[in-house]
Amino acid sequence: MPTATFLPDYRKVTVPEGATLLDAARAAGLSMNVVCGGQGKCGKCLVFIRDGTASFDREKYRRFFSEEEIARGACLACQATVVGDVQVEVPAGSLIQEQKILVEVPGMKEIPLSPAVRKYEVRLDPPSLEDTNPDLARLLEGIERQGGPPPNRVYAPLGVLCYLPQVLRRSGWHATATVALVPGGYRLSSVEEGNTTERLYGAAVDLGTTTIVAYIWSLTDGRTLATASNYNKQISCGEDILSRVNFSRKSGLSRLQQLATESINEALTTAADAAGIDREEIFEVMIAGNTVMTHLLLGIDPAYMIAEPYIPVVRRMLSTAAGRIGIAAHQNAGVYTFPAVSNFIGGDIIADILATGMAEREEATLMVDIGTNFEAVLGNSDWMLSCAGAAGPALEGGEVLFGMRANPGAIERVRIDPDTLAPSFSTINGVRPRGICGSGLIDLLAELFRACVIDRTGGINLEIDHPRVRKGRYHPEFVVAWEAETSIRKDLVITENDIKNLIMSKAAIHGACMTLLDAAGLAPGDISRICFSGAFGNYLNKESAVTVGLIPETPLERVENIGNGAITGANIALVNRRRRKELDELAQRITYIELNADPSFMDRYTSSCFLPHTDFTLFPHVQQMLEACRARQGVRSWQA
Amino acid sequence: MTESSDEGLAIREVRLGATRAEGGTREVSYVIGGERALPFSGKRPERLLVALEICDDPRFWPPVVRDYVGDLSNDPGEWARAAERTYGADLVRLNFTSTKQRGFDAFDAIAATTEEVLAATTRPLIVEGSNEPELDSEVFRRCGEGGEGERLLLGTAEADRYRSVAAAALAYGHAVIAQSPIDVNLAKQLNILLCETGVPQDRIVIDPYTGALGYGFEYSYSVMERIRLAALAGDADLAMPMISAPTDTLSVREVREAVPADQDAMAVAWEFYTAYSAFVAGASIVCVRHPRTVERLKKALEV
Repeated sequence: MPTATFLPDYRKVTVPEGATLLDAARAAGLSMNVVCGGQGKCGKCLVFIRDGTASFDREKYRRFFSEEEIARGACLACQATVVGDVQVEVPAGSLIQEQKILVEVPGMKEIPLSPAVRKYEVRLDPPSLEDTNPDLARLLEGIERQGGPPPNRVYAPLGVLCYLPQVLRRSGWHATATVALVPGGYRLSSVEEGNTTERLYGAAVDLGTTTIVAYIWSLTDGRTLATASNYNKQISCGEDILSRVNFSRKSGLSRLQQLATESINEALTTAADAAGIDREEIFEVMIAGNTVMTHLLLGIDPAYMIAEPYIPVVRRMLSTAAGRIGIAAHQNAGVYTFPAVSNFIGGDIIADILATGMAEREEATLMVDIGTNFEAVLGNSDWMLSCAGAAGPALEGGEVLFGMRANPGAIERVRIDPDTLAPSFSTINGVRPRGICGSGLIDLLAELFRACVIDRTGGINLEIDHPRVRKGRYHPEFVVAWEAETSIRKDLVITENDIKNLIMSKAAIHGACMTLLDAAGLAPGDISRICFSGAFGNYLNKESAVTVGLIPETPLERVENIGNGAITGANIALVNRRRRKELDELAQRITYIELNADPSFMDRYTSSCFLPHTDFTLFPHVQQMLEACRARQGVRSWQA
Repeated sequence: MTESSDEGLAIREVRLGATRAEGGTREVSYVIGGERALPFSGKRPERLLVALEICDDPRFWPPVVRDYVGDLSNDPGEWARAAERTYGADLVRLNFTSTKQRGFDAFDAIAATTEEVLAATTRPLIVEGSNEPELDSEVFRRCGEGGEGERLLLGTAEADRYRSVAAAALAYGHAVIAQSPIDVNLAKQLNILLCETGVPQDRIVIDPYTGALGYGFEYSYSVMERIRLAALAGDADLAMPMISAPTDTLSVREVREAVPADQDAMAVAWEFYTAYSAFVAGASIVCVRHPRTVERLKKALEV
């Protein structure tokens, strides 16, 4: 079998002939950037053939490469196949890099500490011929004396009974029992020698499609001890949900389940080490993930979710023991997953809702969680409507020539001087730019619009006589950074095609928001708060978001970034058992609106495919602002 | 905006063509629009115009029309004259099919043909320029220049290529056809784009685009109805008269595959019913290509 060698670190791997370079790179342990899941659509897995040969149709994918890259033997790893020994150079930009993940300790002061798991220190009388109560009954009575549940409500798993007699006797009948509130009663999770009541920990996990975030809490005093985050290792089986489900259909579910638990365990281990605790003392794990992620984690087949009639196996909150699914916590620790509303409104969104507190308010809140897919929820303490849809990969850097995720070197903020058209920008980590991430793209869209470089459909006005406005190889484009300013040795541009993709993404989100508002009989002005959840929303410039019509026009002070709502919600449900108990009921009262089945959505989408919207009366402030911009610039760009 | 009325809001009036008094050379000019109600509801001005479409390069024209008009198809001036005098069309639509050929660069001929057709006719003229973004700018400039002062109806502006048409219309005082792909929102967006370029709203005619009857016309029908209802309800960005050009009609399978003896009749029938339906849907101008369709339409509209 041929050998593929990957530079710069000379990783060698033997692969069968006909394997793609992407397969080979994965086998060599490299995490390539494959936004499209390896379909040759995103052009992000650029590699250079240094030596040897690979079969690759360069003409077909020519649009992804510059002349210089072609000269250096550029290929797309996902479309090039191994035909013999080959040496491949993998540029840093083609690898998944450390990402900006939200880790922040949310203000949760108003959430009372009331965990579902408690420890009871018991001192028991040793048995005698006069007192022949069995060990378990003796222990449970001791627990009840300490304020615990009545013995007949506590279930004791066999595993605990097997070591119970030794623990009680070795400790001289002084032990600590861990009892968890479970659906329908209580469960004796563990019995330890002596007094360990100080050491009762819980973990909250945001199981994202891309990233995992974990918090470790002390459940005795409600302190956050440590946080950690890392990639979801399932990325190697496909970047998006659909490709994961397809992977599980082809290659089995167990690999994905294993990768999910490994990813969570890695985060838990990092956090536990940072907190200086033993993972075995984590007695509860609260996991918020979307419906597919939750299914995969629990080893439940997600296949029926992606084909008509799109049915998940389960929607309600599930609990299982950590040991059953290999989570690195105490083996009897309860692992809870958030309930879902539908395939598309999963546990992560229920967690978002919990984080916004919208279910406790009388005024209507609109919550939007944006990623490749978006979810929107509108409601208050009485009612709640939700919908979800595809935003397209543009906001996460896909289908945009220089789009990228929020990695170092990504332009995340942009301003354009309307007179000189000179952009000023900031990048993540302050290094030279090599691409533009979602928040930078929305800024750019708003700024190009304000500067009248683009019209209301996003078309670049080539009549503007300026070196930054030019006709590119395939599309008109605007130069954001000149070659010399970048770290990629080419001009960093945004093309008209990119802009149109972005407009389609924003239109899908705005159209969904309007669908919810119309279904509720509300106008944009009736929304008391708009909450953005998720990493994208957190870095998003609110003003730019309104200017381009990503969200309904609302006074900016009503727009809030709640950060990573999924982890905040998981934290809340971990430390407060009443909130957790309400989740199933909350999930059940959320009405899901299927946008594909709503004939008016397409209309709303099309009217949103315009900057900021076809109906300017929905954006009175943007209209004023734009008129002011145009008046200032006179007739430069919009008078033919 | 429109003149006030207690009968509801009106469609904006658009003038086509210019008489001597109006700065052109036409014997008549037409004013379309002004409706205050849905078509054929008895409250509408009688301003339905039948346009016969001709071209400057018959290689790109339906054989059934070529066969019917014979040598005329090689002489746009004579063809236009016949359209007006022999076939009874209210106006001519001149389609520059020559721009479809590879490497087209005969820009001088564009201006010359425009002038020739204007000289051969006495009524307003619709000009369909190029369909090629690379050529648009020069083609529209030449058409516009050739017809300066004549208030041509110049087409076609689309959302991704409207600047050249708009520039020519502004520079030489013409009206513009704004074509969008069968969608009320897209029609509105294009009108907004044109206005933001400086084209006055009373110089825009909406082409909602259509297929032939039986080939998607029903979508166009309902979009035309929605455009008109939105306009009558007060949406100023949609309050423009409409033009319909069901130009695929003569190449539908039923016409192509008709037995030779029936082909001409089938072509006319298909085109007639499509065109008449377009009037019913609210079009002020319908463009057809077969001369006999013009005759049938004129007769039908008299009733």
